[in-house]
Amino acid sequence: MAMSGVDLPPVRPQTSLQRPGFLRRLMADYGQELIVLLAIVVLFVAVTAVNPRFISANNLTSIFSGNAYIAVAAIGMAMVIITGNIDVSIGALIGVLATISGTLAVAGYPIWVAWFFPVLVGMAINGLIGILVAYFRIPSIVVTLGALSILRGGLISVTGGTWISDLPPAFLIAQQKWLGLPVPLVAMIVLTVLAALWMRYSAFGRSLYAVGGNPEAAVATGIPIERRIVAVFILNGFFAGLATILFATQLQVIQSTVPPNLELTIIMAAVIGGVSILGGSGTVIGSTLAAILFATIGSALIFVNVSAYWLRAVIGLLILATVLADMLRRRRTV
Amino acid sequence: MSADTPFVTLSGVSKAFAGVKVLKDVSFDVRAGEVHALLGENGAGKSTLIKILSGLYTPDGGTITVDGRQMKLTSPRDATAAGIATVYQELLLFPELSVAENIFLGHYPRTSSGAIDWSAVRSRARDLLDQLDTRELDVDTKVLTLSVAQRQRVEIAKALSRDAKILIMDEPTASLVEADVQRLMGIVRQLRERGVGIVYVSHRLPEIFALADRVTVLRDGAHVATRDIGEVDERQLVSLMVGRPIDSLFPKVEAAIGDTVLQVDGLNRGRQVRDISFSLRKGEILGIAGLVGSGRTELALTLFGMTPATSGTVVLDGKPVAIRSPRQARDLGIAYVPEDRGLQGLVKPMAIRKNISMATIDRLSSGIFIRAAQEARRATEAVKRLGVRCRSIGQPVGELSGGNQQKVVIAKWLETSPKVLILDEPTRGVDVGAKAEIHTIMGELVRQGVAILMISSELPEVLGMSDRVLVMAGGRIMEELSREEATPERVGAAMTAHKEAA
Amino acid sequence: MTLRSFIRHETFLAILLVLALFVLSWQSDRFFTVANLLNQGRLMTETGLIAIAMTFVIATGGIDLSVGSILGLTAILTGVFWKNLGVPLPAAAVAAIAVGTFAGYVNGLIITRFRVPALIATLATLALYRGLAEGVSQARSVRGYPDWFYVLGQGEVLGVPTQLWILLIAAVVAAVILAYTRWGRTTYAIGSNEVAARFSGLSVEGTKLALYTMSGFAAAVAAVIFVSRVSTTRSDMGSGIELDAITAVVLGGTSIFGGRGTVLGTVLGLCLIQALKNGLSLAGVKGDGTIMLIGIVLILAVLASAIFERSGTR
Repeated sequence: MAMSGVDLPPVRPQTSLQRPGFLRRLMADYGQELIVLLAIVVLFVAVTAVNPRFISANNLTSIFSGNAYIAVAAIGMAMVIITGNIDVSIGALIGVLATISGTLAVAGYPIWVAWFFPVLVGMAINGLIGILVAYFRIPSIVVTLGALSILRGGLISVTGGTWISDLPPAFLIAQQKWLGLPVPLVAMIVLTVLAALWMRYSAFGRSLYAVGGNPEAAVATGIPIERRIVAVFILNGFFAGLATILFATQLQVIQSTVPPNLELTIIMAAVIGGVSILGGSGTVIGSTLAAILFATIGSALIFVNVSAYWLRAVIGLLILATVLADMLRRRRTV
Repeated sequence: MSADTPFVTLSGVSKAFAGVKVLKDVSFDVRAGEVHALLGENGAGKSTLIKILSGLYTPDGGTITVDGRQMKLTSPRDATAAGIATVYQELLLFPELSVAENIFLGHYPRTSSGAIDWSAVRSRARDLLDQLDTRELDVDTKVLTLSVAQRQRVEIAKALSRDAKILIMDEPTASLVEADVQRLMGIVRQLRERGVGIVYVSHRLPEIFALADRVTVLRDGAHVATRDIGEVDERQLVSLMVGRPIDSLFPKVEAAIGDTVLQVDGLNRGRQVRDISFSLRKGEILGIAGLVGSGRTELALTLFGMTPATSGTVVLDGKPVAIRSPRQARDLGIAYVPEDRGLQGLVKPMAIRKNISMATIDRLSSGIFIRAAQEARRATEAVKRLGVRCRSIGQPVGELSGGNQQKVVIAKWLETSPKVLILDEPTRGVDVGAKAEIHTIMGELVRQGVAILMISSELPEVLGMSDRVLVMAGGRIMEELSREEATPERVGAAMTAHKEAA
Repeated sequence: MTLRSFIRHETFLAILLVLALFVLSWQSDRFFTVANLLNQGRLMTETGLIAIAMTFVIATGGIDLSVGSILGLTAILTGVFWKNLGVPLPAAAVAAIAVGTFAGYVNGLIITRFRVPALIATLATLALYRGLAEGVSQARSVRGYPDWFYVLGQGEVLGVPTQLWILLIAAVVAAVILAYTRWGRTTYAIGSNEVAARFSGLSVEGTKLALYTMSGFAAAVAAVIFVSRVSTTRSDMGSGIELDAITAVVLGGTSIFGGRGTVLGTVLGLCLIQALKNGLSLAGVKGDGTIMLIGIVLILAVLASAIFERSGTR
């Protein structure tokens, strides 16, 4: 994992091999990411023109920090989808882990235990999901649908819907700053960059693309598909755990619910960021950018006075449009 | 030119699937720097042998010796480590990844810190492709944009990148146009010069005579012979493959040939069906010869309405028709027994009865209900008529042997009472006995006045069964030959005489 | 898989159901009463209608996750058409059902025309339709329906809850269609081997389109019954119902990979789940505990059928 001295996106050496059209290649490799980035920029410019308060420090903090946990969870989700699987239980998982985290913090366990024990729980639960998917060949959609209701039902029946309050101030890391920047923002950037480097420069990361792109060929290349699938779900649990830290420490209280359709937002962040829903391609940079785009859209709709009631409909429409565009793009190239 | 000690030796290798022996006590070896051709009919055991060599299957018995040491190849990884690489017919690449990454996936060059060294990946991929005279291919393009021939070269580069001592090529020219075939043969010769041993699987005898040093023939899972190429001629090889002289294989039934049923003029669809014109008469078997990718199947799919024609006319029984869907083709009296029985022909978990009625299920319904008794009666009759060997008509089709499965597909389409029956590879993967039975059925049908359009990769079958032969290449009909004119040489020449260099 | 294995699975389910009924009636004397059983039937009608349509969808190898949102949207529209637009209630309900059916048709179009995997397509429309429901409702609920409307969801016909008759008729019709007609045959053929179905001249796209439309229709009808049963409409109605329906279908022996399944199995699965839910609540477990139970039952059911399938074929 030592990757010092490499930048993102990878700068290819300017040798005689270099063919003209570096830009073209950048477009080919990171086309979807650039489009999402462009959309964010355009949106910022447009909404600021209508309502300059949009780029106030306060709003920027709420856009980036308040949604960083979605981006972090989307990193793991992107990896899962790259292998051709899906996890619809992630929203419920984050809710469960947040409750565990808060309960530990209030019960007086050391802060770091309250932060990181849920991460281990997330990895364990997802490891189990991975085993059911990889070794028992149950489609990931079914397993995670089941896990969704177990986690959601379990959470409500255990907590009874009560909120956890009186959290120790030191626990609320999402409210703190690091080098003058909100911790969630820093965490989002650092995790995205590390994960992106790892997905690009480690053989393990590349093998995930192989598993999703052509499982049969992956077997012939000697890649142990089952172990990779279990591993990718454990990783997904890891990122869900880290996302939980950012989510649970945002406010003075922890509710026993997560935002509605959280799993959908996370899945769609990965897909809109360029991860093919059929597996085999995409990057975690794209998923983070898409998560930021969602947050920006959410905030922008409020700033241009779209009724909050229509927010989800607009986002739903956007999601559908992107899925259709993705499919059309794919059909053209194949 | 070949060193005499074998690099890889299989001795007494056997393999069975679900109790069926597909390889019986086969011995085979490859030397460094030789091209060893592997020949045999479909189902002879070639692909099982290849998969054992490449570590995908573990043999039930026998030994494998590589470079003097006996070893077990239990996974593709083992085979790769032993210096054996395989270029499969259905190329195993990752379409969304770049050419360079496909070549080095699984064994990337690393930097000192252990990260993948992408600049080395790209430059070494460039070197390998240059060695294969493939300078035009950009290492950064995604594989999904490449042609079949280009993908094949990527596979070969991949094998070289792993320092393969033995390269197995499974029907490498099956879907190549002639210019690419020549280029590939050049590459194979060059690899041989470098001391790579090549196992070359192909049906095309001219290629084998042009390339191979030795040839091994398999039949019904058993080793028949291994000869130096100089010791044998084409005739001998064929009779080794089929186990008897070809002439006796195809009992041509003389049927009265009647009026024209189907008249096709200037039919076009995409790049694979170009300006096709021919006619077909009652009681006639019209053979279509051509390489895979020559447009044979595409022509059939267009006539069947799967991929409707973009221009041209089809006249059926004197009436011009436009065929837009398989359902419509069926109603017009055109039936198509597809190439890929398992994927396109059958619903394997379903009963024989339901498969036989599948194309006529609407006709078997009164009101909304399926007339089950009538369905069963018709299926029973069809099974009897075609000699499908099964426990009952309720047995799932997937449990039958290849030949009996094929008879079920034919039965399904005979239920539609077709005027024109298109048979695409009617005897592929079918054992010799069932093959003869299917040929007899064809004879029976033409005698009843059905017109048959038969596509086959097996030249002896085309020549033996057809009244006339159309030869296709590059989506066009290159030649139309009468039964007398159709000699192997003439058809073979037309098949590869692709007028447009790709 | 032959007919014999279907029968075996359903016999097994039936025995399990009888066993569950036996244990539950022994546990609580309030369970095995006509009133309670009929009331349970009332409660499972909405899920039941959706599950019956879902049986067809899953038998083709597809899935429809958007049914809960279609239910919510239809429920809201019924209320809004009637109260806010002043449309007579019967017409409002019919119009809302038409919209719900159209929502199913849109699913079908996305899946057949654009070739989007059913999972992703209906996941996206799950968000869209629920969003529309929220947008239309503006978080207001509609109440105060005329008394006659409650006959559907709270009344009885011949001593049996009205909606249970609807479920019964739907189940019988669906069972007959799936087992004895060419549409049923086509459904199985698509689920087992879509390519071969197409090569046999069957209308693959048309059938799928019809099935997703039917799924939308079933969810829409369930919505009106739901509104009538609970006397109010809210935009979050029916969320999570897709899970109950899928669980019933899969528990009923329909393969998630398609090609196999019966309506009878689905109905048995439905009854079993409802019995367990009821038993748990009588035993004092709160409503959310039963959500957990459904998840566990779903995973175990698929696990069992995955193991069974692997040992059964090849």
